[in-house]
Amino acid sequence: MALRDATSILALADEVLRRVPGGSDAEVVIDETDSALTRYALNAIHQNVAETGVRLRLRLIRDGRVGVAELRGEAEDIADRLVRAAEDARRLSPAQENVAPLPDPAIARAEEAKPAAWSDGTAEATPEQRADAVAVVAGAAAAKGLEAFGAYETRAQQIAVVNTRGVRRHARSTVARMTAVVRGDDGAGYADRCAADVGAVDPRAVAAESVDTALRNQGAQVVEPGDYEVVLAPYAVAEMIEYLSWLGFGALARQEERSFMRPGERLMSQGVTLRDDGSDPLGLPFPFDWEGVTAQPVTFVEDGVCRDFVYDTPAAMVDGVRTTGHALPLPNTSGPVATHLVMEPGDRTPEELIAAVRNGLYVTRFWYVREVHPLRTVITGMTREGTFRIENGRVTTPVRDLRFTQSIVGALDTVQGISRDRRLEIPDEGSATLAPWLHIGRFHFSS
Amino acid sequence: MRDLAERALDTATAGGATYADCRVVARAVQVIVVKNGTVAQIALSEDEGIGIRVVAGGSWGFAGTDRLDGPSIDAAVQRALRIARASARVSSRPVTLAPVEPVTGEYRTPVQEDPFAVPLDRKVDLLLRADQAMARVPQVIVRECSLEFVRERRYFASSEGARVDQTFVESGGGLDATATSADEVQTRSHPNSFGRHQLCAGWEAIVEMDLDGQAERIAGEAAALLTAEQCPSGVMTVILDGTQAALQVHESCGHPTELDRVLGAEAAFAGTSFLTPDLLGSFRYGSEQVTMTADATRAGGLGTFGWDDEGVPAQRTVLVDHGIFNDYMSSRETAAELGRQSNGTMRGDGWSRIPLIRMTNVNLEPGDSSLEEMIAGTEYGVFLETNRSWSIDDRRLNFQFGTQNGWLIEKGRRTKLVRNALYSGITPEFWNSCDAVAGPGEWRLWGVVNCGKGEPGQVMHVGHGAAPCRFRDVRVEAS
Repeated sequence: MALRDATSILALADEVLRRVPGGSDAEVVIDETDSALTRYALNAIHQNVAETGVRLRLRLIRDGRVGVAELRGEAEDIADRLVRAAEDARRLSPAQENVAPLPDPAIARAEEAKPAAWSDGTAEATPEQRADAVAVVAGAAAAKGLEAFGAYETRAQQIAVVNTRGVRRHARSTVARMTAVVRGDDGAGYADRCAADVGAVDPRAVAAESVDTALRNQGAQVVEPGDYEVVLAPYAVAEMIEYLSWLGFGALARQEERSFMRPGERLMSQGVTLRDDGSDPLGLPFPFDWEGVTAQPVTFVEDGVCRDFVYDTPAAMVDGVRTTGHALPLPNTSGPVATHLVMEPGDRTPEELIAAVRNGLYVTRFWYVREVHPLRTVITGMTREGTFRIENGRVTTPVRDLRFTQSIVGALDTVQGISRDRRLEIPDEGSATLAPWLHIGRFHFSS
Repeated sequence: MRDLAERALDTATAGGATYADCRVVARAVQVIVVKNGTVAQIALSEDEGIGIRVVAGGSWGFAGTDRLDGPSIDAAVQRALRIARASARVSSRPVTLAPVEPVTGEYRTPVQEDPFAVPLDRKVDLLLRADQAMARVPQVIVRECSLEFVRERRYFASSEGARVDQTFVESGGGLDATATSADEVQTRSHPNSFGRHQLCAGWEAIVEMDLDGQAERIAGEAAALLTAEQCPSGVMTVILDGTQAALQVHESCGHPTELDRVLGAEAAFAGTSFLTPDLLGSFRYGSEQVTMTADATRAGGLGTFGWDDEGVPAQRTVLVDHGIFNDYMSSRETAAELGRQSNGTMRGDGWSRIPLIRMTNVNLEPGDSSLEEMIAGTEYGVFLETNRSWSIDDRRLNFQFGTQNGWLIEKGRRTKLVRNALYSGITPEFWNSCDAVAGPGEWRLWGVVNCGKGEPGQVMHVGHGAAPCRFRDVRVEAS
């Protein structure tokens, strides 16, 4: 189902603001999504869904009191109800000093921003298209006596942020993502592809990679846990740096003394550069954050040295700086987050990274990763769907999945090589990560 | 709601659906957060929409919309029908549903005091008092207190004639105190981690949590952890408190007994299960002390209801009977694959997502020991409280959990606080090492509000009854 046009979305926001009591600062966020997801298991579609909806959020500030209300739907009286609910919340809130103000249009300039990633093809993708793509993967798996499982999602979204100080932003974006787990009697393989344009998600590539990994990953042998030299595929690297970001790249984490970051200090290997860039065309560009502020590129780690943090308005107010445009819907207690992570590429091919390992492991992806110690950036999780031994520079036999318990900073301090090629991964709605293959000198597997 | 549902079902049937059901869901949520002495958030949200599920051409289709006018509902039904027919392009066999008697009925969460009727200033005052109590401990630099109240009306109707109208009320609250030093960060929570503890109940559940009364204690414990010794490493006896036992049950019994996982529906995402159907009735999952149930009839749990989202009545199923793997949680479709009846565990997250097999209240039934007895009977080990990290493999075998608090036990006595405790194991080996579970006096129903499953993602609120329990020869280390 088509999204409504920008004019009607912005008009709805204006309608809400017109009803706001005089003397209030107010911010309206409208988020409309139309998404569909086709899920398959055992070479057949077993769940196939679509949803459409619009969410309106109003933040109201007056006399040091803040109230927030959020409603969904298109009822005729929605603007009235939204204002009433936010005003009720505001009126009952205690007055506070130092309430973070709404951003000024001077720092929410639309002209600075590049357009969001959008594809008409994705917005208009049909269930038949998704089914046919699934048939490609299922057919490729069945042809080798294997079973395919996965999902194909297409999503179109538009977000408008309008406030009483003059911020007025609107953008629409799309994303398409296909995943596949292909399973044999005694092992499995994984692949995914993500892009703004459904035409760039090639089900044959998903099928070829997942089937190839599954065929090589049969009859895995147990290896002893311990420290190993590893080559991590981008699926694993993306998850690792997303955790790192969550643990320490936001300014609030530093203000609350729970970030590992020590600006100016070298904590990681030369060549490790981590950034956030909401305008990188290789990612999923989106021009502004949930306050309507243009997202600025931020470098967190440059050649192994800690640099900067992302900010929203409340965190920026504490440090006396300007927001970098990385707010989640405010107010919140999680603080600003990086949603367009980029790891800078190296100069090797994945094969060259593998060739440099005499005795180690190749890891396709991680599973059920959780933080163990935030300040030490220790995480734990399992390997999944494609863990192999590397012997004398070649990927050889499959090995049973292992649990790792490892400091991310520690791992990134032993980087021996980074690939030129990178993959786009989508950890959550609204986020994108560009990750390379990594050769890491020491990685701890605990069981 | 009824008119909308009837229109959706009529349109679906006229459009060729051989089966259709729909849920009209209206949900209101109130959230209040106090952080470091200020009211960080007072938010009210409301959400209403309809989700229509159809079988056409032998396959499933689903569409959800928050546009609740007649033409929009018709359009959503047509979308669901088209999706179902597209599913049939890549199908292995037609959908078969185990029979269920169509029911008509109503259910409401029993509530002593409606939490939405409690004045907001009373709620804010409670959190500010708790915040001030935590502020008495100077090492605590982040104090966060929250309350959440949910009211959800859920109307289910099926083309087979079921009509079920249910209203649920949830009340939740919690405290987190985070203390830091130059090289350490430690958090303590009350009554549970993950932000809050929650029940299907009214304001009385919040009163029982004693948030302001416990605040200074947990702040002090967070500060004490900064200088506590690291947890010792080795193979030793572990005693879990009720909250950690509840999460252990959730991850290592709840998820692996979901029959859709077992049959492969979640293989690409949440994973599968080591509890395959050939093990039913014979596999020794745990010791004689271990009996686990999925009980949607127990009052107060987040998984307590009248009927599930397929109109199947709430029931109590024994998953593990004195250590023997006994049954799964099932749906109409998965039960049919085993030639059984659904035991009523299909639950959808709001109107926009299909129902999936979800935990109801998955409980470790009480034993006959006590925490005091368990500690007294332990020569050397640790008593672990409140989850801090959790990870388990995609078959639910290899797990590693961390807890906020640890207490060293030496010669039958709790001797000193230890920090950064981790324990790990393999699910059946671990539960077979369980030699004691505390009795009904220490058994309590806990709420987990962050259970994720499915694509697109769904978050479910589930219940777990548990009491402290003891395990021998467990691998323990420090992070």
